[in-house]
Amino acid sequence: MGSKRVKLVIDSDLEQVFLVGMAINKLCSLIPLSDTDSDQIELCVVEAVNNCIEHAYGNEKGQEVEITLTLHPDRLVIDVCDTGKSMEQELVERKDVSALEIDPSELNSIAETGRGLPIIKMIMDSVTYKTESGRNCLTLLKNTSVFGVYKGG
Amino acid sequence: MEIEDKKDGNVLIVKILNKRLDAQGATDFKEKMSGYISSGSHSIVLNMSEVDFVDSSGLGAMVSVLKLLGDGGNLVICGARGSVMRMFKLTRMNKVFSMFEGQREAVAALSK
Repeated sequence: MGSKRVKLVIDSDLEQVFLVGMAINKLCSLIPLSDTDSDQIELCVVEAVNNCIEHAYGNEKGQEVEITLTLHPDRLVIDVCDTGKSMEQELVERKDVSALEIDPSELNSIAETGRGLPIIKMIMDSVTYKTESGRNCLTLLKNTSVFGVYKGG
Repeated sequence: MEIEDKKDGNVLIVKILNKRLDAQGATDFKEKMSGYISSGSHSIVLNMSEVDFVDSSGLGAMVSVLKLLGDGGNLVICGARGSVMRMFKLTRMNKVFSMFEGQREAVAALSK
């Protein structure tokens, strides 16, 4: 059984991110994933696209963010790519799930930003970041075999 | 960001009417909430029953509002469900905000 691929491209505009989120959520129903898993994958893609717009493009509209979803029989792979400023590899590695640890009694110590990548790492099975020829891609992988049989053709 | 507000005694109830509290609406949400606080509202119930998606920017805006209220104020949440509630739990924010199922109990908690 082969893989299926769909590519979505949006402008680097926060007003358009929900379109990708909703499309990804619906596409996840092909696998089949539970509603909870589909919602969480939507969240990861939204966080990744937000990062591209806010950090790689510095909120400048008129650039492209490309999202490619590939359904394999045993895994879901989502590439979120931009051609803006690259993230430092060290930052990508440092932003792990420990950033979600907080002390609720110390309100001022609780960050208002920086949770995107830790959330993605907590939900997905693998997260990698590569820059090649000026193109940055964050690749999110979720194993799907535990969820059931892929229903696509 | 569309929101609706009403007073119940000393408590201000703010209901988010949008389906999503995300990076697109986070700044506007923060500004509107700051407006309420500078107008003298320091006990606020945020009704999220209409919201079905929150991202980290939306959560960050809520943390920012809580900080703005400081020791003399409080912001509690009601109506969070499904993926919104899961987001609070995933990020431990359910330990930072007092969470209530219904609006009435949230208002009662702030009226004590």
